[in-house]
Amino acid sequence: MGARDPFSGATAICGLGMTELGKVYGRTATDFAVDAVLRALADAGLEKRELDGLLLNAGISQGIDLSLAQTLGLGELAVLTQMNAYGSTAGQMVQYAALAVHHGLARHVACVFADAPLVEGVRAGQAYGGARARRPGLGSVVPSLGFAGPIPFYAMHAQRHMDVYGTTQDQLGAIAVGSRAWAQKNPQAQLHAPLTLADYHAAPWVVAPFHVLDCCLVSNGAICVIVSRGEGARDLARPPVYIHGVGQAHQLQWDDGVPSLAQRSARTAFDMAGCAPADIEQCQIYDCYTFTVLTTLEDYGFCKRGEGGAFVASGALGPDGALPTNTGGGMLSSFYMWGMTPISEAVIQARGEGGARQLRRNARIAVSGNGGILNHHSTLVLSPHEQS
Amino acid sequence: MEPSERAAPYFAAAARGVLALQRCEACGSHSFPLRSRCPRCGSARLDWSESSGRGRVFAHGRLERSALPELAGRLPLTLLLVDLEEGPRIPARLAAGEAGPVRAGDAVALGFETAGDGTPLPVFRRAAT
Repeated sequence: MGARDPFSGATAICGLGMTELGKVYGRTATDFAVDAVLRALADAGLEKRELDGLLLNAGISQGIDLSLAQTLGLGELAVLTQMNAYGSTAGQMVQYAALAVHHGLARHVACVFADAPLVEGVRAGQAYGGARARRPGLGSVVPSLGFAGPIPFYAMHAQRHMDVYGTTQDQLGAIAVGSRAWAQKNPQAQLHAPLTLADYHAAPWVVAPFHVLDCCLVSNGAICVIVSRGEGARDLARPPVYIHGVGQAHQLQWDDGVPSLAQRSARTAFDMAGCAPADIEQCQIYDCYTFTVLTTLEDYGFCKRGEGGAFVASGALGPDGALPTNTGGGMLSSFYMWGMTPISEAVIQARGEGGARQLRRNARIAVSGNGGILNHHSTLVLSPHEQS
Repeated sequence: MEPSERAAPYFAAAARGVLALQRCEACGSHSFPLRSRCPRCGSARLDWSESSGRGRVFAHGRLERSALPELAGRLPLTLLLVDLEEGPRIPARLAAGEAGPVRAGDAVALGFETAGDGTPLPVFRRAAT
């Protein structure tokens, strides 16, 4: 490792705004986004006029766009862009915001995700998948086979992992069960009822090896974080959460069975943070499905390729485990706000505001984002300390 | 050319039980679905060729629920991602009547079934290795 990267620790997340999340009806994505940005400003102790940057990411319902700046009444902005690389976007927004404030393009950049795909009385899968219409011609071949949305593709990747490495259904179940145990300690989580492995096995299938409990909780709501330079953040209302390392990687075609883009993304972020996997004290992993937790842990180097199943079943991800992970219940038991779910939980943990789920060990938190069908990945290493 | 016309060779070949792939005249690599340029070398000289239909299962999953009315009563079905001998990886299904478990790496051979609206759908049967 060479000299410390001057970017590492120079910027911080200084504000967090979370709306009500989940089955919250009667509000548009823009309503949620405005609410989240205003909450983040209040949280940071910033005036609206001090905000000079806005990055936004619309979810599947595509309910927000650049006009959000007007709706918010933001006058002169130095940075404004709408971004999308699906689930890795939130992590990327934080990266671009950090680069912008580090180089003086802007002082305080809000990064907001908002989505409102759920419609009262319509099943989540239908509401979420309904946005994709069948096209005539060659485009109708894949939907007509029975493929709908991302679930079949992720399920097949999980099944391949089972075929190649002997990963078991119990091991996928251990991730769902573990997430629920964490969610029980999080008042903002949607699901608090205890979950056993037997409950997991009894849940209906979607595309085997995925039960419904292997899939995230599609949610309405918005989350915003504000990124500032470290020295500016220290004067604000909340303890800064420093950005030690950032990385991203994209790969639209898989070269082999197990995608390596998460590995590339994590290596970039860990190198910048000057740390190794063993130095990470907790993880907030993008868990759109149970399997993405398992494969991300392998790609990040917390266990060897193929050993993710045994690792997650060992209890490593629980409160007393070696690598507490998805401490708010994640997307599986808490809420699905694309990449903002793991980022918001990392901010809460870094600030020490986790209440019943707060961990003492929070010096280095790895945060992942994942988009497409394992096509886009982003990594952040966050810390309550300016330097590691 | 309209995109729908561009796909005409796919449908013509499928009617004969053959999977048409795009083949790059410059570098020889095959692509599917349709591209306007070769994803490997960037050439616009793309022609059609016929797949041997031989491939290996990259991954599979068991479809247990579907919003498609025409699949009601036919579930579960086995969804496949198949690596064709020519290179492309295509979404497909295990052919109707093919019983028993599939595993990643299994050798398979292509056929077609027809969707309710007449769309030809690539399906695979087990093949000798």
